[in-house]
Amino acid sequence: MAVAAAVAVTVTTAAGATRATTLNGAGSSLIAPAIAVWAPAYAKAAGVEINYSAVGSGAGIAAITAKTVDFGASDAPLSDSQASACGDCVQIPWALSATVPTYNIPGLHSGQLRLDGPTLAKIYLGQITNWSDPAIKKLNPGTSLPNLTITTIHRSDGSGDTYAFTDYLSHVSPQWASQVGNATSVAWPGGVGGAKNAGVAAAIASTPGSIGYISVAYVIQNHLDWTKMKNAAGNFVLASAPDIEAAAQTVKSVPAGNKMSIVDPPASASKAWPLSTFTYVIVHTTSPQSSDLRHFIFWALSPKAQKLINNSFLVFAPIPKVVLVAAEKTLNQVHS
Amino acid sequence: MILQGVAGLAAAGATSLVILIAWKVVDGARPSISKFGLAFVWHDVWNPVVGREAYGAASFLFGTVITSFFALLIATPLALGIALFLTELAPRVVRGPVTALVETLAAVPSVVIGLWGILVLGPALRSNIERWLHSGLGFIPLFGHASAAGASIFTAIVVLSIMILPIVSSISRELFLGVPPELKEGALALGTTRWEMVRGVMFPYARGGIAAALILGLGRAMGEAIAVTQVIGGGTVISWNLFNQGDTLASKIAAEYQGATSNLEVASLIYLGLILLVLSLAANLVAQTIVRRSARKHGVTRGGRA
Repeated sequence: MAVAAAVAVTVTTAAGATRATTLNGAGSSLIAPAIAVWAPAYAKAAGVEINYSAVGSGAGIAAITAKTVDFGASDAPLSDSQASACGDCVQIPWALSATVPTYNIPGLHSGQLRLDGPTLAKIYLGQITNWSDPAIKKLNPGTSLPNLTITTIHRSDGSGDTYAFTDYLSHVSPQWASQVGNATSVAWPGGVGGAKNAGVAAAIASTPGSIGYISVAYVIQNHLDWTKMKNAAGNFVLASAPDIEAAAQTVKSVPAGNKMSIVDPPASASKAWPLSTFTYVIVHTTSPQSSDLRHFIFWALSPKAQKLINNSFLVFAPIPKVVLVAAEKTLNQVHS
Repeated sequence: MILQGVAGLAAAGATSLVILIAWKVVDGARPSISKFGLAFVWHDVWNPVVGREAYGAASFLFGTVITSFFALLIATPLALGIALFLTELAPRVVRGPVTALVETLAAVPSVVIGLWGILVLGPALRSNIERWLHSGLGFIPLFGHASAAGASIFTAIVVLSIMILPIVSSISRELFLGVPPELKEGALALGTTRWEMVRGVMFPYARGGIAAALILGLGRAMGEAIAVTQVIGGGTVISWNLFNQGDTLASKIAAEYQGATSNLEVASLIYLGLILLVLSLAANLVAQTIVRRSARKHGVTRGGRA
């Protein structure tokens, strides 16, 4: 993979002394469907091809650090050690999406299960083991829950969804924060691992009584069952674009480095989906492709490009104004 | 002279390639080796969260040994049975098609077998075989409570046995075909039954080769990553219950390498690879010893006889 990317970059540099015709990227699988829509539109608008491999957020960071690609993409912001290893890298939030708990409970349809953060954490900590547990019943008055063992499903590979999910659990459960923590891959207290979104979806589909978490776009495309989550305001919400946007609207100022967490937003956002996440593009501030990269990312942040990926299939909510301003400011540091 | 030179060059190339790979693996694992030392091998922990990083190979080593051992245990009698059937028992019309079908099994990509494992085999094993084994043989620790999801060590074992079956059976078939007819006919002429002939003539004759075939299968089982990752379920626990989730060295590397976030995690994954490399080399050495000893003991090698 790395070799192929390296070869492609060499070709680009050789041919693009004046203007690159291809930009190569790698990383997050969450953003992959968005880039799949962007690439042809951008090729038409600017005549530049975008090659993207959805190798996972961690691999994307590794690739941009090693400069085997022109841009990396990650749902998890760079850690301090990753940022220093990457040198003159900047991370720019360029899309807004969410991860969604999804389940397989015989007799329950999509949207019928209601959970809150502490209960979800207890389920994943192995403290609540049956769907008929009083804590779950209390959240679901009027719904008949089966006497069925809960099987938790998680990603076995490093993933941005896992980052957002464990970020959320760390916010709502002190025990989760101290015992497990937050990363793209963690030491799970139990449960079954599935490889990538597809593996998690397959494990959920074949396991009655299971619960897992999956990117919202994947949930929609595969008609999986949505969980209604209780947010800080006490409302039960679904991960629709307006609800994801409401969570992002709680960002009032963007810290240097653009590292933001919008899980479990404050109660002032009454409609906010509590498992929302920004996803980032990572580039070197100085590289032979700088001006092309800057052009592409400015285009991706434009209302037109953001609108392309906010529909009933993709559900990437528009980036709030304050974040957009910060993103464009960071992007202006990228120069040739 | 030229032939000698070319052959020598090829041999030297292959040897230096192995050494180069081994060196590269050791080099990549160095941060983890210097941090955890040899204790890595028997520590049963895997935590990639920044600030709490701790890595150890014990559960994956256990997973690799237990899955490949049981896969071999299941596949060997089946493979030998298939080979005997195809060389001795099956009507001539049947042999060709069945041989082709068995060998086609070897051509199925492991990712496809893995998908089939998640969607079909896993749930079927869980709902039938696992429950049945638990209720009948539950007093054996290996057959604990059935897994909730289809993914388990047991599913991985069955998937692996399916993958090594064609390797062992097609090599064994070739070996059985190579048994000189005069030996078989001689035995039958002395009044042995067919089974006695198989046991007394064919098995001893092919013993060394069968051992080598089994080791090839074992190597496949230990090294298989993708299909195992898909069906084993993941987890860092050492449990004798085959219906629990687990991980093997190869499946852990396949699952986490691409998404690894810290240098130490990458180095630790490469350290797992180093352990796997050592394990495979050891298995190979054992196999070669077995083959050599068996050849000496019985005084029959195919080369020597011709």
